[in-house]
Amino acid sequence: MASPSSTIGVCGARLSRRQFVKTGGALFVGVGLVGLDGLATPARAATSKNSLDPALPGSWIEIHADNTILLRTGRCDFGQSTIPVAYRQIVAEELNVTFEAITTVVSGDTDRTPDGGPSVDLLGRGAPNLRKAAAYTYQALLDLAASRLGVPRDQLSASNGVISGGGKSLSYGQLVQGAKLDLTIPVTGSLTEGGLTVTGNPPLKPVSQYTIVGKSYLNDVTESKVSAKKVWVSDVRLPAMLHGRMVHPKTLGSTLVSVGQLDKTRFPTAQLVVKGNLVGVVAPTEWDAVRAAAEVAAGTKWTDWKGLPGSSNVFQWLRDGADWTTTPVVTSEKSTGDVPPALAKAAKRLTASYEMPYIKHAPIGPPVAVADVQANGTVFIYTHNQNPQALRTLVAEMLETSTDNVIVREFAGSGHYGRSNGGNPGCEDEAVLLSKAVGKPVRVQWMRAEDFQWSTQSPIGFSDVRIGLDTNGTITGYQVDHYMPAMQDDRLVAALLTGLPTISAPDVPTARGAGAGRTVNRNLDPWLYDRIENVLELGHGTFQVGQAASPIGVGLRDHSLRTPGQFQQNHPRELAMSEAAALAGTDGITFRLRHTKDPRLIAVLEAVREASGWQSRPSPGPSSASTGSTPVVGQGVSAMVRKGGYWACVCQVSVVPATGKVVVTNYTIALDLGIVVNPRQLKRQVEGGAIMGISHALHEELTFDESGVTSRDWRTYPILTMAEIPEVKVVFLNRPEVGGYAQGSETANALAAPAIAAALFDATGKMARRLPLKPAYVQALLKA
Amino acid sequence: MPSIILTVNGVQREVQSSPSTPLLYVLRNELELSGPQFGCGLAQCGACSVLLDGKEIRSCTTPLAQVGTKEVTTLEGLPGRWARQTGQPATAGAALALHPVQAAWIAEQTPLCGFCQNGMMIKATELLERTATPTRAEIKTAFTTDGPSAHLCRCGSYTAIIEAVERAGAAMAKKKA
Repeated sequence: MASPSSTIGVCGARLSRRQFVKTGGALFVGVGLVGLDGLATPARAATSKNSLDPALPGSWIEIHADNTILLRTGRCDFGQSTIPVAYRQIVAEELNVTFEAITTVVSGDTDRTPDGGPSVDLLGRGAPNLRKAAAYTYQALLDLAASRLGVPRDQLSASNGVISGGGKSLSYGQLVQGAKLDLTIPVTGSLTEGGLTVTGNPPLKPVSQYTIVGKSYLNDVTESKVSAKKVWVSDVRLPAMLHGRMVHPKTLGSTLVSVGQLDKTRFPTAQLVVKGNLVGVVAPTEWDAVRAAAEVAAGTKWTDWKGLPGSSNVFQWLRDGADWTTTPVVTSEKSTGDVPPALAKAAKRLTASYEMPYIKHAPIGPPVAVADVQANGTVFIYTHNQNPQALRTLVAEMLETSTDNVIVREFAGSGHYGRSNGGNPGCEDEAVLLSKAVGKPVRVQWMRAEDFQWSTQSPIGFSDVRIGLDTNGTITGYQVDHYMPAMQDDRLVAALLTGLPTISAPDVPTARGAGAGRTVNRNLDPWLYDRIENVLELGHGTFQVGQAASPIGVGLRDHSLRTPGQFQQNHPRELAMSEAAALAGTDGITFRLRHTKDPRLIAVLEAVREASGWQSRPSPGPSSASTGSTPVVGQGVSAMVRKGGYWACVCQVSVVPATGKVVVTNYTIALDLGIVVNPRQLKRQVEGGAIMGISHALHEELTFDESGVTSRDWRTYPILTMAEIPEVKVVFLNRPEVGGYAQGSETANALAAPAIAAALFDATGKMARRLPLKPAYVQALLKA
Repeated sequence: MPSIILTVNGVQREVQSSPSTPLLYVLRNELELSGPQFGCGLAQCGACSVLLDGKEIRSCTTPLAQVGTKEVTTLEGLPGRWARQTGQPATAGAALALHPVQAAWIAEQTPLCGFCQNGMMIKATELLERTATPTRAEIKTAFTTDGPSAHLCRCGSYTAIIEAVERAGAAMAKKKA
């Protein structure tokens, strides 16, 4: 740059030189909040002292003199490979460097990254910020090169990290050599409320020129995972660390009567920690902790509690006993026209109710975390977490300390599927209290049963649908009433058991605190059928089941899973569409196409029809049967729009009526997500979602009695095994002209159940209006 | 407490854990072998699998006392096991190439969250040492009904596992031929 104090504007960003250096050099990319008179001076945002200030130079991107590049994000990866692969591809593309030039990605640790908000919608909300930050950075590099080379900016171009023009060239490393340069990018928003958004319009590389986005780069984290490089939170070991196991209450509403004895002759080095209703055991060896906790548990007395309806009666109880009147009913924005007269005049009518059970996230590894509450009040938490910043706040609140004193470090772990997007996977808070009590680092590992019984789950739901058809088989009126208890319960169990502070439970909108408004059942499933003239959709919400009645405030706590709330609304809608198609005497795909004008939906439905070998005929099929030992086959379809992506799925099933056993033989899915960043990683994600969704449809239902959860292991809560998987076919409609990187590979999860139930109907002529499709239920259904 | 000698990944190791301690805790906490993971503690998922004289077992329910003189192979030991089987010199200090199963898991980008994949790779190794080129039906049987329980993957990577087993099997057969 021309003078030592020079600061230049770059498309609204600001490039300045901090100092000269003898060796090395770098360009640091940070952000500044946009004020009324332009870009404000980078000032500490309202964030924790131990958080990396996003306004600090270098908080997002660093370009080093050795041509290496570092990225930081407060968000975390869960095996989707979005952060270690897709983020690198997107940034490398805008910067015009190779994928490999980005050598380091720092993710999640609260003291080493800028706050990034929850790790949800990683491509939808996270990537545009990084893409723009990279685009600003590229413009700054062009400015630097123009100045250094003495070549006009418009004669310069870059490739593989080298800027050339006028017969001269310089690498990015050479450009930053000898100086520390700061680029400050304009942002708006708030760190604590919804996160920051990069503003302005730096020139973005045209999609037609992409050479990195769209290629199937490998995820290099995979190598460390398959060769046991201690990347997991379960692998964290600290000096003097003790192993902890919890003794949880007997029911979801029990209080402690008396604690069982810890036999010091058998476990001389174990310690018992009791605080209110929180009981835990720590010991130097893990096996001692397991055995000592089991002994203490056997002798511990709890009050009895019966405050749950029991899973066998729960839907009846939800209709008759739950409070749906305190929470405002939401009339969704889909609602249009006048439904009652349309239904009254209809030539044919469908009236049906659909029921979806509680489903567990059920990670293969139960929650595990290490906490180190140090004598000076600093708290370190080692976790696998979708939202480390939120955990930092939750733990600080529980300990009544500043967030400045809490540092959360992120590690790989068993997938959470949405459970920890509010910061609370399960046992971190308990590890903190045990560590605080014994003055040493403590590793708490929940056992298998505790994960089923004490973690959150995806909420139960049911929907009442009414559809009217005219004589042409066209829908003239559609009404649905969705019912679902609250979710997003991020309260810390340790705080509930001890009476320490934590956020409020999900509550009605007029309540105060973090839970206010969470009982509201909003419209979470974008509408697909825009040709239907009369639509009424109502969302009814209520409190979590048993929570208010529980003396410890626990009950059945709910949290998002993959397509939270959307599955509970999409499944009944899509299954009702298949039922209505049968009433109309046409096949499910033709029927859906009849009710939409949306070209992207039409395209995925037509693609899945072709790829799946769909038979265009009404259901049930000509060879359907509801009796006998001979397998009958059927086909079913479903569709969804999620976060800007369009999806359609066809399942083919084989059913033995006599046994009620349903096998999914083929799962075909077509998707249009706009720009596909990494086809191989996306394909693996979609295959995985397909299989998890089939598991939900065929097997999964949380069971509970009046006191607590009775699902306790993989026998009482089975999931799909390899022998049960279908042939999975994934068809991408790569549509870069759409512009964005839509995501939602989890959508494949949600699409399975309505397609499978429709296929069961096609095969047998009987409609299964509840899930899961376990043999006993299907057998009874077919006999009815 | 008297120590117990274990043969792990080709090396004799002395351990102090009590004889009732599940092998999983001995491997992870005393021998710092972090390949096997705690998934259920009930032999119902396979995350903790190791090979015992080449047979896949669940280390979470196998007491230390039951191991005896049999050789334990963990995920960390797969490269050495392959080197011995193919007669490659195990030069001290030199990094061994990954086992073809591990290499196939990378090439196929099999893991999603990856937490179950230790057991999947152990099971694949056992299968491919017994059956060089298994059919898809044989692969499904091996991972579902062969052992104490099915090997469970929550993320749904079963398709990717099958493709990786096929790739690894082809690579192993070629090398051994």
